[in-house]
Amino acid sequence: MSPLSRRQLLGLGLGASAAAVLAGCATPGTTSVNTLPTVPPASGKVRLEYWAWLKGIDRVTELYNRTQDRVHVEAVFIPGGNAGGYQKLYSALAAGAGPDIAQVELRSLPEFLLANGVVDLSRYGVDQYEELYDPTLWNQVSYTGGVYAIPQDSGPMGMFYQPAVLDQVGAAVPATWEEWAEVGAELKGAGVLMDSFPLADASPFAAYATQAGASWFTAEDDGWVIDMTDDATLGVAAFFDRAIDDGIVTTAYGAYTPAWFSAAADGRIASVATGSWGDALIEGVSGAAGRWRVAPLPTWGTGYASSFLGGSTAAVLANSEHPAEALDFAVWMTTTEEGVNALIEFCGIGWSPARDVVGTLREQPSAFFSGQNYAQEVFVPAVQESSQNQDWSWWPVTQQSFNILSDGFRGKASGGTLVDAVVQAEKDIVAVMRNKGLSIRKAGA
Amino acid sequence: MSASSGATRRAPWVLLAPFLALFLLTFLVPIGMALVSSFTKVTRGGLFGEAGVVTEFAGLDNYAQVVGDPNFVASIGRMFLFGIVQVPVMLILCTVLALLLESASAKWPGAFRAAYFLPYGVPGVIATILWSFLYVPGLSPLIDVAEVVGASPDFLWADTVLWSIANIVTWSYTGYNMLIVIAQLKSIPVELYEAAKVDGASPLRVATSIQLPLIRPALLLTAVFSIIGTLQLFAEAQVLQRVAPAIDSQYTPNLSAYTTAFAYNDYNVAAAQSVLIALVAFTLSIVFLTVTNRKSA
Repeated sequence: MSPLSRRQLLGLGLGASAAAVLAGCATPGTTSVNTLPTVPPASGKVRLEYWAWLKGIDRVTELYNRTQDRVHVEAVFIPGGNAGGYQKLYSALAAGAGPDIAQVELRSLPEFLLANGVVDLSRYGVDQYEELYDPTLWNQVSYTGGVYAIPQDSGPMGMFYQPAVLDQVGAAVPATWEEWAEVGAELKGAGVLMDSFPLADASPFAAYATQAGASWFTAEDDGWVIDMTDDATLGVAAFFDRAIDDGIVTTAYGAYTPAWFSAAADGRIASVATGSWGDALIEGVSGAAGRWRVAPLPTWGTGYASSFLGGSTAAVLANSEHPAEALDFAVWMTTTEEGVNALIEFCGIGWSPARDVVGTLREQPSAFFSGQNYAQEVFVPAVQESSQNQDWSWWPVTQQSFNILSDGFRGKASGGTLVDAVVQAEKDIVAVMRNKGLSIRKAGA
Repeated sequence: MSASSGATRRAPWVLLAPFLALFLLTFLVPIGMALVSSFTKVTRGGLFGEAGVVTEFAGLDNYAQVVGDPNFVASIGRMFLFGIVQVPVMLILCTVLALLLESASAKWPGAFRAAYFLPYGVPGVIATILWSFLYVPGLSPLIDVAEVVGASPDFLWADTVLWSIANIVTWSYTGYNMLIVIAQLKSIPVELYEAAKVDGASPLRVATSIQLPLIRPALLLTAVFSIIGTLQLFAEAQVLQRVAPAIDSQYTPNLSAYTTAFAYNDYNVAAAQSVLIALVAFTLSIVFLTVTNRKSA
């Protein structure tokens, strides 16, 4: 090698790294794909990548691929949401790469919007599919006149309980939260917990508040309006403050942790208020067959019959080269009889987001739950439009807000209250939003 | 003649080039980018930034936000507490183990050396999962045994979980540090031991008068590594989070930076956090080395 070419090589290396520095200095996610022209459908072969944490999703995509001669969808597993999946997605987006479709929780979708990470599907004709979907969920993927993902799975809440444990104190299944607290007090006498209340995860609390009629964030023309200290939210916080103080619920562990499974198997915990996806997890409790049933979620004096806990979407990500094909796949997966059945059978989704397709398995009684047809009895009524809070909207810093809330909730262990934690969290969340430059004001201010 | 001397002058650079290129790309450039990023601020107008995204020089805004975040400051304080207790415990333990294994009366020193070193071969994540089975109530045989004698330890609650992590870290790294100390012990000339023997020194006297002073450099090295390692604590806390509600998303400084960057998508504030962590580690190491050098002088 001559000295000249060596110098050229060095220059090339330096030039490349300088370019990388310059490109890297632009903070990721500062340009929007939704202002660029739309990408027309391709005419040749198309390969789509779908990153999701649903187990068995590869079998669903396989089913789709068999119906296609042009489009091939490849499923890639990522860790669940904040356990590492989003971290992976965000860093891929920051690097200008990433899959065509990604599993994103309903509550996290606005954060992907803020990061300019998702494609506005209304530019690809998604409106024609609106009537196929559950209206509550459609609300939760629609922001500022756009539609940013396809709902793929949800979890209407109900109460799973052990009849034999309730019988120990001769209690009936509680229909209201007040009755729930009374039953809990009786069970406490028998050394049994009613449920658990996770201090480390604020999402069940948010779901209870939603059920009671709260609407923490509203998108107005002049920016976000926050209202976390309304009567509904503070009422729920005070209720669980009492439940924890009275020892009706434990805060030592959350549902579906190893400690919870052990308590559930021993009959030391009577019930769990949870999303419909809880059925698959409860089937994992040792020796649980025939010992659990499902009832509607107890109700507050105000608000709604149920609430959604969890739920995710298939979002088309900003760097996709084939948004139109990606949308077609997402709609097939979530609205056809074939797609929904596959999602239930292979992935165990909590509840189908399609208005009219519940899934064949969910039309029959369940042997595990003593022949109870709980899907039809409990969850079909729970997803009705009138059973759900239509005013609830997620916001662009949901995860950080939930962390702020749960950091406050942890103070409960050292003498704090949930009520104080919520009041403080509202102030902190306003500061977080303002730091990002977003306009936000307190309701009524 | 002059051509060959030119080649001689170039030779080191050519040989160094692969190292320098990697050093530049994987070390200097990322540090530079983090620094630039930490002084940048992105503000988004409207509900989701649809009213415009502005990237601008932030001055010290990001740093002010980080220092003003009580949880981040608390995480650094937590690591101080952790380091003050865990680092000395681990160093004393590894020194004692090394001295015992290097003493003349040790049986099967090779086998024990390997056994003590073995935990280091278990990745931190796996080690934490293994230990979590001993920590979680309902699964842990330790708790079952303790209950027989009437105690009910909770390894995962707010006041205890830090020491549960310290236990995992000590278990993982004591053997590794022991090996560094042993290497230093092996470099002590045999003549010194022989002289001590002639003078009739007891094994204890040999340890305190010959071995301990001579392994000082190795102990300083392991201490500095441990201080830096403490500030970088991440995997143990992150994995244990699943079973310990007391561990929040900002439990350690690195966990905090990770959460800010990849859960909150705020790369600029995360960069400021990272720079501060590096500065604290740098300062601590310098202070430690200055103090120990002054003592020896």
